[in-house]
This record gives sequence, C-alpha cells and structure tokens, in this order.
Amino acid sequence: MDFASNLFSAGTLSQILVGLSRTTILFIVSSGMSLILGVLRIPNVAHGSLYMIGAFAAWSVIQFLGGGLFAFLAAMIVAPMIVAAVGFVLERGFFSYLYEREHLMLLLLTFSFALILGDLVKIVWGPEYRSVTVPAFFQGSAEIFGLPLPWYNLFLLLVGPCIAVFLWLVINRTNLGKIARAAAVDGEMVGAVGINTGWVFAFTFVLGSFLAGLGGALIAPMVNISLGMDHSLIMETFLIVIIGGLGNMWGALLGSLIFGLTQSLGILVWPQFGIAFPYLAVVAVLVVRPRGLLSSTW
Amino acid sequence: MKKAVSILAVAVTMFWGTGSGIAGETIKVGFVDTYTGPATTFTNDVLDGFKMAAEKINEKGGVLGKKITYVTRDDKFKPDIGLTMAKELILKENVDLLVGTINSATALAVSDLCKKEKIPFLVTFSKSDKITGSMGHRYVFSMNENTEMAGRATAKALAKKPYVKYWIAGDDYEYGHAIANGVFDHLKTLNPKVQLLGQSWWKVGETDFTPYITQILAAKPDFVIVATGGGGMVNFQKAAQSTGFNKKVPFYQHTAIELSTLSPQGPNAPEGVYGTANYLFYFPATKENKAFVEEFRKAYNRYPKSGALYGYMTARFIAKSYEKAGKIDKEKFIDAMEGMTLDSPVGKMEMRACDHQVTLPMFFGVTKKSAQYDFLTATDVVSVPGKDYMPSCAEIAKTRAK
Repeated sequence: MDFASNLFSAGTLSQILVGLSRTTILFIVSSGMSLILGVLRIPNVAHGSLYMIGAFAAWSVIQFLGGGLFAFLAAMIVAPMIVAAVGFVLERGFFSYLYEREHLMLLLLTFSFALILGDLVKIVWGPEYRSVTVPAFFQGSAEIFGLPLPWYNLFLLLVGPCIAVFLWLVINRTNLGKIARAAAVDGEMVGAVGINTGWVFAFTFVLGSFLAGLGGALIAPMVNISLGMDHSLIMETFLIVIIGGLGNMWGALLGSLIFGLTQSLGILVWPQFGIAFPYLAVVAVLVVRPRGLLSSTW
Repeated sequence: MKKAVSILAVAVTMFWGTGSGIAGETIKVGFVDTYTGPATTFTNDVLDGFKMAAEKINEKGGVLGKKITYVTRDDKFKPDIGLTMAKELILKENVDLLVGTINSATALAVSDLCKKEKIPFLVTFSKSDKITGSMGHRYVFSMNENTEMAGRATAKALAKKPYVKYWIAGDDYEYGHAIANGVFDHLKTLNPKVQLLGQSWWKVGETDFTPYITQILAAKPDFVIVATGGGGMVNFQKAAQSTGFNKKVPFYQHTAIELSTLSPQGPNAPEGVYGTANYLFYFPATKENKAFVEEFRKAYNRYPKSGALYGYMTARFIAKSYEKAGKIDKEKFIDAMEGMTLDSPVGKMEMRACDHQVTLPMFFGVTKKSAQYDFLTATDVVSVPGKDYMPSCAEIAKTRAK
C-alpha cells in the first residue's frame, strides 16, 4: 500500500477534523482524571464508570423530557450534575477517609467502586443497551472536499475549546483553583495556613466527576450506551494521562491530541492496523520521555 | 481459610441444590447461556421462545406423560464459567440435555464436554461454523445458522448485484473475520470479477466509526461488507446515519435487518442497509408466522426476534424427538432428532442427519422506514432456502476429516 499518497490525499483534512472531535471527548474525560490525580493523588479507576453513568443519565434525561434539541441540551447539563453528585458522595463518604493511607489502598478502593458502580448501572438501567439519537438540529453532515463530517462532530469541535478555556479559568483565575493547585504541590502546607483542604479536595473530585459525566453525555448520541463502555475508555484515559504527565491538565490535552490524531491518521495510512497507531505513539513517547511530555505534579 | 472455603462450598451447594428435581419424572433441560450484559437482547428471546413452546406442550400433557422442565445457568459470556456450569448441570442436576449458548467459545467447550459425557447439546445462538463443521460430533446440534451459512447466503444474493470493488470492514475478532471471509470468499467463486479494494479492522467495542467511514469513502469502493457483531451493529449504523455513509455507498451487515439491531434506534436508523436474518416477525406474512407473533406478543408484550424462533423450535424439536424415540433415552433421542422435519413459523425446518445442522431459510433485505412501526423494517426481502446456502454433507465430511 502506498502510505505517503494516502497521507496526502483529500481525506487528510477531514480525517484530522474527525480525529480532533475524538480528541474532545478524550480530553474532557482525561482532564477530569488528571485533575483528580494531580490534586487528590487518586488514580481513579472508577472514572470510566462515572463516564458510563453520564451516558446512561443522559439517556434517562432525554427520555424523560421526550427528546428534541432542548432535551438534548438539558441532558448535557443535568447528566454531568448527576455524576458530580455521585462523585461528591464517593469522595465525602469513602475516599476522604483514606487520604492518610498508602496509594495502593486508594487504588483498590477506586477499583472496587468501578465494579460496584458497574453493577449499580445494571440494577438501575438494566443489562440491555440504550440508544440516544442525535437531535434533528445536529443530524446530517457537512461536506469537506467531498467527504462527510457529521454536524455533531463539528459541535464537539466547538465544545472542546470551550471546556479547555473554562478549566483554565477555574484553575488559574479562581481562588479555589489556586488553592487546588497549591494543594497539589503541598497539601500539608495549605492545611497549615488554615485552609480546609478537605473541601478543596471535595470540589476537585466533584469537578473531575462532572467532566467524566460530560464526556459520557456527549458521546451518548454517537454510540450505543451499554455496560462495559467504561472498560474501553479507562484504558485510553490512563495512557493519555501518563504520556501527558501525571496530573498535568495541559498534558491531558496534549495526550488526547496525540491519541485522537494518530488514530484517525493511522486509519488513513493503514486501515487494517489503524488500532495500533495510538498505542505505538504511547510507546514512542514513553521511550523518549518516560515521565510524560509535560511536567508531572507527582 | 479452610473453614471459609468449606462454608463457601456449603453455601454454593445449597444454592445450587434448590433447583434440582428428581430425575425421571420430568424431562429436564439445562440452559447454559449469557444472562447478563448486552448479549441478553438475544438470549432472553431464546429462553422466552422455549418457555412458550414448553408451556403449551406441558398443558397438553407433556411428552410421554412427562412435563418439560428447565434450569438456567448464567455463563456471563465466559467460556470457563460456562463449562463449569455445564458440568454442574450434568453431574448434579442430572439434566437430560443441555441447551445454549451465545458465546461460540463456550459452545465449543461445552460441546467437547458433552461428547465425553454423551449428553445431547443443542446450540441456540453461537454462530461459529466449527460447531457442526470441523468440530462437530454425534452429541452436538445447531439450532441456528452459522457464519459459513450466512456468508454463503449473502454471497448468493450479492453475486446478482453489479458491484465490483468491495471493501471489508469489521470488528477485529473471530466472528467478524469469519463473517467477512465467509461472504467474500464465496462471492469471489460465484462472481470472479469482484475485487477486494482494501480492509479496515477496528477493536471490538470501538465507539467512534467516523474516521473509518471517511477513510473508506475516500477509497471509493462500490460496496462495503461490514462485519460487526453484538453492540457494534448499532454503533456502526448510528455512525452511518450521521455521516450519510449509507447514502453514498451501499453496505451489508449480517443481522442488520433484524429487530434487535433496528428497534433500539427507533425511526432514525439508516435506510438502504443490506442485511440477512433468520427471522423477521413480519415476513413471511403467513398464517403460521402471524400466529407465532400473536402468541409471543400475548405472552411477553413484545415482537419476537430470531432468538425466539430458535428457542421455540428447540423446545418443539426436543418434544417431538422424545415422542418418536418412545422413551427418555439419550442415544434414542439423537437417532430420533436426525433427519427430523418440523413445521415452523418460517416454513419447514429440518435437522440434517449428516452434520446435525438445522436447515432453515435466510432472509436477505434492505432497511427502510416503516409506516406501521416506530422502527425500520426490511424491504425487498428475498428468502434464500436452507438447502441453497448450506455446505453439502460431502463438504462437511471433508472438513471433519481434516
């Protein structure tokens, strides 16, 4: 196969745009994980389950409101809020008691919650898969050099930067964000100057959960919502966070870009083995920079 | 630790013990199938179809004066669990025969066990052609179509179409490759002009098909064989709908026209998708099929899918075979099953004696919006008779000899 001519064909631009819309979902989910990892030092294995709950909750909200653009937009806000509430209960009810213990304990706890939440989803929504249709407003696709790019993917391309700017504002321009950043570097010191780190941690965890839920809600119209959708994502998210630099938000963005783009361009170059490209990229990054591309907060 | 293990053992035995009846008074069927996870969309219909037929038979006095009873075990889509459950059903529950499962790996493992234990095993949803092909034996029966059959039936229908440049895309696992090769290899022999332009394979559970779709469109094939299974069916159709893929290039998916693929998408599924299925509740519109649909809807308040047909016919084949055998005997049961023909909602179904593969029609059609239902249905349906798309007994003998 002629790889070079594949790479410089008319399909390249549309493939990059498609890759970027995939990046959006990956970034939203992995930034939430990175945030929690950086500030709370929890490698949250249950993050994928929160994403899955986001997707199921979006389905429920859309069903409840009877479909349409309004129901869809409402779901994009309400579903992540539901997930944020779940996150709040998890953090205050369980994780907050284990911060003094070793990381392994926290890791095991998040793993057990990944299993528990998976079963809870089965109890609440049942084992069958659910499907959300793209609202009429986003149906169909734009033509780019004769190749289709769904309107919904373009919508995701708008959402991505908005979330990035929003996170930047929260982290750099609010007091809470500044405290969270300080707590990430030295939690003890922040406590010593009289700030209640417990609530900073709770806020961060809730924000991280919100992002996981938002990722799930945004992907809902593109896939069938089913048990097990958490597993496939959590793996990619961890890899993204690792190659970006543990706990670094912009690292999560960079990692998502690498993952999303190598996948879509890899498919263009060699469709039969398109799956392998993001993972090869991960290997390449880790060989060159074993601690990730950007500085880790760990 | 020892104590914990023994307590656990006692608890497990007690739990398992509750279902056991006394052997001999009833015909006891053991189900090993996946009852958790996405596969339940298919497996619940098998069980419900079976229940419906069994209840009717029992109401009329059962078979040889014995009622048909059943126990179920969840294999959680895992071959090791399935095999353990099958052993338990044989050794502790003393089942007369085993029925299941949707996972081909499990089916092959259980089939091997049944060969050693000399217990009849009726496979109700696994699609590996090895079950009655290269790994077939006296004790295993297949109650549904397999990848080889689906491939041949589709190739037969596609060979009449003018398409030349084909593209293959699918889930990168056994079923995906088996379906894709099944279709393309047979198509190639039927119509030597066709050529394979290229292939794309994605991991099972892939969520975003858009990059694959744009790449395939850029390659400009005439027709695409999409080899997705399970959850991938709906995912791909959604991506096809949002990119308008189906309007640009015609494509085929096995089971694309089936209710289990179309009903979750409601009225927004893509139109013009070619697919095959063993059962459609609205085709053929015969008296027998209508009666079956009516009965199933009355019992479960939903339309029957392929699984319902498989389960329903499995119960009827079991009853008829014991009747013919004249007593509850495993070897006599098998002799009776061989060559048995029964009327079904889709016409005559025959249990072929040479390989224990059921012969049933395959429907080939195209998805289209329906005025009557709030989901898409198949149109231009062609029925491919079973004998037209099954490997011959001689071919099977050759595969088994290898």
